[in-house]
Amino acid sequence: MNTKELKALITDWRVATLIILVVLSIIAINPHFDDQGNLTSNLQYGLDLQQGSWLQLEFQAEVVGFSTDLPVDEFITNLTESLDAEVIQVDTNHLEIRKSYSQADLESKFLATGGKLTSFQPGVSKNTAEDVKRILENKINTLGTKDAKVNTLTGMNNIARYIRVELAGVNMKQAQEIVGKQGKFEIRIQTTGNQTEHVLSGETITSVQSPSQEPPGSDKWGVGFTLSESGAAAFRAAAIKFGATADPANHNLIMLLDNETVYSAPLSEDLAGKLQSEDIRQLFASTGTGKYGTQQATNLEIHLRAGALPVDVTIAGSGGVTAPLGERYKTTAILAGICALIAVGFVIYYRYREPVIVLPMVLINASEIVILLGFIAVIGFQMDMPTIAGLIAVLGTGIDQLVVITDEILHEGKVPSPNLYLKRLSRALSIIMVAAATVIIAMVPLLVMDLSTLKGFAMITILGVLVGVLVTRPAYGKIIMQILSK
Amino acid sequence: MGLFNYNIEKYSPKQLVMIPLALLAVSLVLLALNMAATGMPVTPGIDFSGGTAVTVVTTDTREQLQATFAGYPLIDISEGVNNGYFIKFGAMDDTEFRSLSALISEKFPDAKVDQIGETFGKTLQSQAVLALVFSFIGMAIVIFLAFRTFVPSVAVVLSAFADMVMTAAMMNIVGIPLSLGTLAALLMLIGYSVDSDILLTNRVLKRQGKLSEKLTGAFRTGIIMTSTTLAAALAMFIVAWFGSVLILMEISAVLLIGLVFDVMNTWLTNVGILKWYVLKGGGK
Repeated sequence: MNTKELKALITDWRVATLIILVVLSIIAINPHFDDQGNLTSNLQYGLDLQQGSWLQLEFQAEVVGFSTDLPVDEFITNLTESLDAEVIQVDTNHLEIRKSYSQADLESKFLATGGKLTSFQPGVSKNTAEDVKRILENKINTLGTKDAKVNTLTGMNNIARYIRVELAGVNMKQAQEIVGKQGKFEIRIQTTGNQTEHVLSGETITSVQSPSQEPPGSDKWGVGFTLSESGAAAFRAAAIKFGATADPANHNLIMLLDNETVYSAPLSEDLAGKLQSEDIRQLFASTGTGKYGTQQATNLEIHLRAGALPVDVTIAGSGGVTAPLGERYKTTAILAGICALIAVGFVIYYRYREPVIVLPMVLINASEIVILLGFIAVIGFQMDMPTIAGLIAVLGTGIDQLVVITDEILHEGKVPSPNLYLKRLSRALSIIMVAAATVIIAMVPLLVMDLSTLKGFAMITILGVLVGVLVTRPAYGKIIMQILSK
Repeated sequence: MGLFNYNIEKYSPKQLVMIPLALLAVSLVLLALNMAATGMPVTPGIDFSGGTAVTVVTTDTREQLQATFAGYPLIDISEGVNNGYFIKFGAMDDTEFRSLSALISEKFPDAKVDQIGETFGKTLQSQAVLALVFSFIGMAIVIFLAFRTFVPSVAVVLSAFADMVMTAAMMNIVGIPLSLGTLAALLMLIGYSVDSDILLTNRVLKRQGKLSEKLTGAFRTGIIMTSTTLAAALAMFIVAWFGSVLILMEISAVLLIGLVFDVMNTWLTNVGILKWYVLKGGGK
């Protein structure tokens, strides 16, 4: 092949796309040596390939459909009482019950309260799942653990039953502690100057509401919370003793989480007046207006809960890998990939015996893997064992399809004229398209279902097939034509 | 490929499909028996049944390990190479599991522990079966849309079905449980096992020429396709075995088994039905 032909080949859009993608991918993967001289890259590994732990938590709650002749508000209030659980309306005919109940129990309780249960799904609504996710993330971040991932597994019906927490570099015992750990919450009152006195601790807060506007629609945000009876009595006693009811402005209430101030504000005039005469259990901490107020309210809610989740969870599964095992798994997986590529190369060589055919095939095959890895690096996907197995399988079928192209074109051993060549190439591509469509269809159920870690695997496999069909096969068709027309 | 000759001219379609159909029947019976015994056609691993799996590297003997874990619901200890052990436990309550994980982190600080709760496993189990069924139906629809002729499409789908059933039966025989990893492998097989069937059907139906020549040509290409994937899976299996990475071993073993059955089902089952269809006057 002379320079002119080579130039023509490289500037062909199919070949050019391939080359550009490979270069971009290598930049994205960015293989380099770190400070210790070890080879590293931007690729991230899942918890079966590096040290870390995962916990799968199951929500102790259910989302149910309901119908009732009572006004909905009244029905919910009744239910809250009879179930002794928080009941939240998800949409016009669905409720979230934040306590674990069996379907039969709920059916009879619903009938007794004047309604009817129309559907039953263990889990929580998407919004609640997002709240839990935020709280967990917040908690993990405040503990300074880096590289944490919290994923809710939400099904097609927008109900999440499980939430998965992955913590890199942390062993299982620590992970269980982090997720289960409650912060130390305290309310103090300003006495004179910078002096403060302890008023309440976190145990006296019996429930925390979601951020709301008070009065509704005013855009003044805050978080409501409820104190136990003894808590309310202690609160009133302290407010009167230190003079906060008489002079609210000079006696701020200060909330601390793990000894850090998270909120500080005076009693409202209204509340100060009421506290003179009676215990108040239902309190509201306002945080301001607009976006800022909402943001502050969201944070305060998390702090008030002291890291406790709005819904109870149980551990449905957990696991972890230690550093040496993770290292060995990673080495094995990488080695398996390289050996697979070499094995494929040998089979191809055995069949064609022509380096000018075998070399482009293997290179194209390898470039497909490089592009996939590049994509994985860009989206920050964490590679795990099934994904690597998927990559190796992409390698195997990728070469299959190159074989189909080569054999179609070399049909009857003759090198075809350009016209015939195109006809044969399109025939080969039609076989490949059907094969690719079946692989993609076979993987789709995994994408939409809740099969835990297999979602990523399905995504990578589908992507591998797409890269093959759209980028590397057309490029190979072009390259092999150049080579064969010699 | 020249290693062996593919010459089926002297066999009638009936003779071609006889062996695979008999094997398919046996496999179905095996799966039914397993279903009666465990409730699932393929024995579920801890991913789907709940339980705890521990991977350790230790110089302790099997008996010593048994003694260490005597107080816990030990199910099975299997050995890998390089002193690797895979230990399985049945379902435990929270306190029992915590005491087990404390024991493990004290005795084997480098162990890998995975624990799946029973209800979580059960949820995954039903999803797994659904995923397999949907995948298969999806594949069948693509095949019917692509070929738009009844008999050849049925031949492809039946071959793929036979691949799955025989692979599943073989998994039970050699003791590979259904885990998230092997489920992934089975799904890959659904997609990949039809590759050579599609090539075969395409060559026979859409090309001019003598049937036997078209079959030989298709075989030449098809067997290489399967061989490359087999080679990749074999390389993966050997490396995984040396590195004692159980999940990768299981995935590659399932692929290997499936691909071997695929060779038979493509070049006997599918070819048999296709030959019958062409001789009867279908196709071009």
